[in-house]
Amino acid sequence: MSNSALGAASVALGLAAAVCAVVVVVLGLAGRRQGWFREVRLLAWVMMAAATAGVVVMERALITRDFTVAFVAEHGSSQTPALFNIATLWSALEGSILLWTLVLCGYVLAVVLKFAAKGDDPMLAWALLTLFVVAGFFFALMVGPSAPFDRFAPPPGYDGPGPNPLLQNHILMAFHPPILYLGYVGFTVPFAFAIGALCTGRVGEGWLLATRRWTVMAWGYLTLGIVLGAWWSYETLGWGGYWAWDPVENASFLPWLTGTAFIHSVMVQERRGMLRVWNLSLVISTFALTILGTFITRSGVLQSVHAFVESGIGPWLLTFFAVIVIVSLGLIGWRGDELRAPGKIDSPVSREGAFLANNVLFAAFAFVVLLGTIFPLIVEAIDGRTISVGNPYFERMTMPIGFVLLFLMAIAPVLPWRKASGEVLSDRLHWPAWIGAGAMVVAAFLGARGWSPMLAFGLGGFAGGAALRQVVLATRRQGWRGLVGRTNGGMVVHLGVVLIAVAFAASNAYVRQGEFTMAVGDSAQISGHTLTYEGSHVTEHTNRTEKSARVLVDDVKIYEPAIAQYPFAGRTIGIPSVRSTWTDDIALSVLTFPEGSDDTVVLRATVQPLIVWLWVGGLVMAAGTLLAVVPGKRRRPTAATSAPPVSHEVPV
Amino acid sequence: MSRRLLSWLALAAVSLSMLVFAAVDDGAPATNADKAYALATDFACPVCQGQSVAESDVPVARTIRREIRVWVDEGRTDAFIRAQLVANFGEDIDYTPAASGVTSLVWILPVVAGAVAVGGLTVVFRRWRDEPDLTASADDEAVVAAARSRP
Repeated sequence: MSNSALGAASVALGLAAAVCAVVVVVLGLAGRRQGWFREVRLLAWVMMAAATAGVVVMERALITRDFTVAFVAEHGSSQTPALFNIATLWSALEGSILLWTLVLCGYVLAVVLKFAAKGDDPMLAWALLTLFVVAGFFFALMVGPSAPFDRFAPPPGYDGPGPNPLLQNHILMAFHPPILYLGYVGFTVPFAFAIGALCTGRVGEGWLLATRRWTVMAWGYLTLGIVLGAWWSYETLGWGGYWAWDPVENASFLPWLTGTAFIHSVMVQERRGMLRVWNLSLVISTFALTILGTFITRSGVLQSVHAFVESGIGPWLLTFFAVIVIVSLGLIGWRGDELRAPGKIDSPVSREGAFLANNVLFAAFAFVVLLGTIFPLIVEAIDGRTISVGNPYFERMTMPIGFVLLFLMAIAPVLPWRKASGEVLSDRLHWPAWIGAGAMVVAAFLGARGWSPMLAFGLGGFAGGAALRQVVLATRRQGWRGLVGRTNGGMVVHLGVVLIAVAFAASNAYVRQGEFTMAVGDSAQISGHTLTYEGSHVTEHTNRTEKSARVLVDDVKIYEPAIAQYPFAGRTIGIPSVRSTWTDDIALSVLTFPEGSDDTVVLRATVQPLIVWLWVGGLVMAAGTLLAVVPGKRRRPTAATSAPPVSHEVPV
Repeated sequence: MSRRLLSWLALAAVSLSMLVFAAVDDGAPATNADKAYALATDFACPVCQGQSVAESDVPVARTIRREIRVWVDEGRTDAFIRAQLVANFGEDIDYTPAASGVTSLVWILPVVAGAVAVGGLTVVFRRWRDEPDLTASADDEAVVAAARSRP
């Protein structure tokens, strides 16, 4: 059997399994099918097998260069190196959807296995129904507008262009998309349980507890995926930047913002039973934003409104997004009365008050990013003008929010629940605040100027000090256990955030860039570094020809930024070379080797301080997430799903 | 005055003076190259997706960078440079939406939304403050007493 036929068959099998599972769950919910859960478990295995088969077949087609599969013909090439040949799967739309579906099926199966003991619980049934509907939608995408296994009749001697050259010259490309998808797709699980809670009316804290770790893990993957994406663009795009507020980046950032708000406000609900509607809305928005993000980035709608009609997948995703929003809002409205929370927040200066402020800020942040991202579409729809919204807008609007968030991060961890007295605050914040002040003094000595980076360093030190204080206290009390569990792991995550915030402020404020036209032997100065051009050389690779410039940096080491020509893809791209140290980075890229001159190069150098700490911060955040999901202090075992409301009564 | 209070006052003084110092002393004045670079990040490369003039490697972006540098060397204002680029390449080269007409909404809406959120929270907190705290009835006390006396 050909790869096309095998692949199409496995996609069809997956769709059939998802549809069957939906029917079985519905029958089970209607009470017409005993033992429905066992059948669902089997169907989840079938779905997983189908998605795995789809990916395996596609990888086989890519590895064996089977150009009868249209996807391989369009995106594969005999010249692509092995690793990137595997990664070609997620370098284009159809393969990405296939990977997405595989990850989703993995999560569905994990839920089925994990909650097997609760097989007769209606809330689980509703959650599974939601999961299977979502999985069915993605399989349907692959049967319909985004079919990965379309056939192609290659002429004799045909060879494909290979993936976009930018996607095949850095190892991070092998990790960034799958990890990002683990994050994106992971939010389907809490979403499904939120829908389950709404449908069964058990809108208490049960669904939150059941999905707490899933949510935190999904958030951790998303965080790591975003940081790796920034790292990838820094290392490969050659502009010395790592974040450009471009629609694709914003699309991954939006669910991160609402997800971050959610994992904080969840704690208020667990502790005080409040903010139910808000938490449901956040988890639903997070999931809806992953779909909207996929729509924005995959339908081509943002390049031009007109591309929208041509792309097949856009209307599907937009419809799905609308269905999610309408169904969820309808459910929340229907359960309105039960969602009204008992209790109140006594004082804004309390842990729950800080979480509330955190949520308002993250919601505002997400609103600004979403508005800025889709605003060109709105304007074009209103009066036909094409405009851009970029860096200056996002920086101006989000910087104040970032400062306030840093400040909150400093004081929130030490705030007690319910009410804080000035004395407690003065006591607990005393040395974290001095760390903040110390950070400013040190920064000033090291030459930091400008009020906004200085403020960022001060607040960063303050927030870092507060997180450090919590970690120190916890480890002193509990030994190594003071590092694990949600609260302690969360503080480690905070430390990572501080590193990123400080590195972001420093690199943004003190970036220096220069363009130099140099003949062999010429030297140039930038930000106290000396660059000497020592000539160029050409190397032939299987899939590209590289012309590299040999640049001696600070008389220590030679770096070789290059320009690479990919004849099959018909493209020329730059391959930057980066000198990293703990204090500053020099990113070198060749703009051109001017023709007609003997061995001259036009070189661009970007010097930025503290860049490395962005990646370190990302890794610290990921490590903190792992620590947060390790069970900390043993709590009373909680039921996997919410107990019926009756159990809230005090037994007499 | 307690020692703690003194320490906080000293801390406030140190922090404020650092901020003021950093705001006033700008260090080395920005060179023309720095100014040109900063400006280039404010404009979209006309033929790329999601890259600014400063970031892109394509020839047209390099040409625009050179033009910006020439204008900066001539001492032109940012507004002049902006107007020139918009005239040459169209409105969508400018990453900063105009604060007039339809595009002003992108600036106004977040501020309005923020004001509404803060206003709403103020109202809610006021209502919470005025709400009487829950008081335990005799029945509640009995339930608690019974629960406590259980072995």
